Amino acid sequence: MSDIVVEDFVLNLADLRAAISEEYTSVALKPEQGFHFHTGRPLARLLNYRDEWLEGMPETSIESLAGTGNPFSLGQLQPGQRVVDVGCGAGIDSLIAAKMVGPTGQVIGVDMTPAMLNKARRAAAEAGLTNIEFREGYAEALPVPDSWADVIISNGVLNLMPDKVAALSEMARVLRSPDPESGKPTARLQIGDILVQKAVPEDAKNDISLWTG
Amino acid sequence: MAGFVDFEITWRADVFSGAPQSSSAAEFGTVGINFRARKPRNEAEWTAALPALNCEVPPTRWSAVPTVGWGAVPA
Repeated sequence: MSDIVVEDFVLNLADLRAAISEEYTSVALKPEQGFHFHTGRPLARLLNYRDEWLEGMPETSIESLAGTGNPFSLGQLQPGQRVVDVGCGAGIDSLIAAKMVGPTGQVIGVDMTPAMLNKARRAAAEAGLTNIEFREGYAEALPVPDSWADVIISNGVLNLMPDKVAALSEMARVLRSPDPESGKPTARLQIGDILVQKAVPEDAKNDISLWTG
Repeated sequence: MAGFVDFEITWRADVFSGAPQSSSAAEFGTVGINFRARKPRNEAEWTAALPALNCEVPPTRWSAVPTVGWGAVPA
């Protein structure tokens, strides 16, 4: 895959995606390994996840939580809503969303790491949730139709993409177009991510190891 | 019309300290955040929001470099 030029730095996108996928395959398969970020229930507490959200959820999904924020703190998901979880990982946020929107709602979780998707699918089956599916794909090319979603959630994923405008453009495409006559609120983003407080030097932006660690 | 309005960072905190392995997070002062934004209600709302487009974060006790800007966010 060709290099991608974003702003003033050059990255090989395939190499970056491979490195990220390798890291998160470990999070899926060996969550006890310990990473440069917190994971699992300790992370959920740090991010102020409510106990009732995790109640009854498969431990296999919780243990591989690797987000950086709390999308559910940004707005209440309502019964019947359609939600896309971008970079769903092992699916705990998707499962929480599926419970919140109920049987009349739908959730699509998207991730590029097969090991994470496999874990998410097993977790959904174990939880008995049928209003949810997981699709393999990239945030920059979401496998979701235009204007499908009421809400997009994502947690600790946008920072892993060099072309954030492409990812946000896809989110805009997938979110429902405004319909004032419907009385529905406008479609929205509820995102957990990161900020840096010191500017990242240009040469550091080309260092894949700094993207993943 | 492609973009978001009402961008808001609602929470930020150190979510990396104490992780099992060291990382670059401390070097760059990386913090976890929650942010929200919504699609404009109509073209008029989007047009009105565009002049406020600004990629600089107002100075606070956090001198952060955002991944997206305040106000209108074109997609």
